[in-house]
Amino acid sequence: MSTEVLIGAWVATGFSLFMYSFLYKDNPFFKLGEHIFVGVSIGYLLTVTYHQVIANRLYVPMVQQGKWWLIVPAFLGLLILARFFPPIAWLSRISFAFLLGMSSGVAIPRQISSFILQQVQGTLKPLVTAGDGGRAWLTFSGLNTFLILIGVVSVLFYFFFSLEHTGAARRVARIGIYFLMISFGAAFGYTVMARMSLLIGRFDELILYSSAAYGYATLVLLVVVVIGLLWWEHGRVSADERQS
Amino acid sequence: MRDFALRLLHLDRRIIFLLIGLATLLPLLYPVGLPVRVSPEVRKVYDHLESLPAGALLLLSLDFEPGGKPELYPMAIALLRHAFQKNLKVLGMTLWPAGAGLAESAFAQVAQESHKEKGKDYVFLGYAPGDANAIISMGQDFRAAFPTDYYGTKTTDIGLLTNLRSLRDVQYVISLSVGFPGIDTWYVYGKEKYGFELGGGCTAVSAPRFYPLLNTGQINGLLSGLRGAAEYEVLLGIKGKAMAGMDAQSATHFLIILLIVICNAVYFFTGQARGRGR
Repeated sequence: MSTEVLIGAWVATGFSLFMYSFLYKDNPFFKLGEHIFVGVSIGYLLTVTYHQVIANRLYVPMVQQGKWWLIVPAFLGLLILARFFPPIAWLSRISFAFLLGMSSGVAIPRQISSFILQQVQGTLKPLVTAGDGGRAWLTFSGLNTFLILIGVVSVLFYFFFSLEHTGAARRVARIGIYFLMISFGAAFGYTVMARMSLLIGRFDELILYSSAAYGYATLVLLVVVVIGLLWWEHGRVSADERQS
Repeated sequence: MRDFALRLLHLDRRIIFLLIGLATLLPLLYPVGLPVRVSPEVRKVYDHLESLPAGALLLLSLDFEPGGKPELYPMAIALLRHAFQKNLKVLGMTLWPAGAGLAESAFAQVAQESHKEKGKDYVFLGYAPGDANAIISMGQDFRAAFPTDYYGTKTTDIGLLTNLRSLRDVQYVISLSVGFPGIDTWYVYGKEKYGFELGGGCTAVSAPRFYPLLNTGQINGLLSGLRGAAEYEVLLGIKGKAMAGMDAQSATHFLIILLIVICNAVYFFTGQARGRGR
């Protein structure tokens, strides 16, 4: 196994344990891991962006391939940085105006088509489908369509505030609330599943790194973190006692 | 009994963390192999990939960063194994800057075990900046959107990309997405305009957002969370990382359900609900 893989395993294990130490309570290991994570993430993003965007998509095409017109977007990009200099901060508005106009023009028609028109179309499917011999059947698919239709209408009605929710209107709005509650429950269930998956993913790697091939990284670092936490806790208690 | 119930209600949260930790760790160390049922939305992605002829172009956009690795990386591995088994030509990319390294390692790993050659059987293009604009740019002129691949080779010199002019030439696009940009970006700015078939994979937390797209046929299939990856591994007949994690997933879910039931029962038993009501 190469040294870089081994170092990577030890670093990954150490920082995973630092972050999990928060489950005990906020502590210096967690804070160290948190701050290094923020710094490394920003550094990595800057490096990738420099290589993939500034070098590959601006410098190389402009300088090596003679696509000199790329100076225009580069200049617009530089204008955004004018915000840091109050006397010329107004220049950044040119770039923002361009971005806003272009993004709106690109996004609005596509978003309306994809998320409103097509979704409305999907909601208005036939409830009853023709089976063999032309006889109409209410299938499970039709039942689903029926449920979707009731859900959409009742939830929309719940958010319709121009009419007081009394009598029949209250009952429809109440059905809307039930649909919303079910969707929140499903979303929460999926969230739990996702968080558990993250835990499984980390544990999976920690188990891998606890093998002899990785120098028992997990076990060694777990002992180090536990001793460190005990030492830190002892120091805190002693300091409190001295103060009192 | 009432004292015990009250103590349960005020249980130190660290005991719950410990229980969850054990419920995760023990099945990973001693797997039981609980059965995994394949859902129709996962089967649709598998069937569509099966229906593609050898040599067809599959674009796999690994739109995630390390935070989505536990759920989406096993999906990427399973999909790549399937694509290489079927001798599809695979284009890899990401719309997330921090995901380029992870995506590259997935391609390198599966290509090596499947004996596939870079530039001939697959191309990894790296990070495409600009979110939606990147997709639009690929739809207009693919090679202008990617002047070089991830390793710096000019895309005009890569044989696999010779006949690729735009996204219209791609048979199937799969986006494994952790958020925005991801599946919906590919649908809104890609599929609607350039007409390719689109499938998706997502983290479990974002799955409810994509079911409406699945219901209307805007995407043809969906792998959601670690379970989606495990179902795909079942279809491929392999036991990968996702399958290994399913026992732990089931155990933690069972424990959480048990804790919710116990806490609610104790809550009502001790009369706290009535107290709150007053």
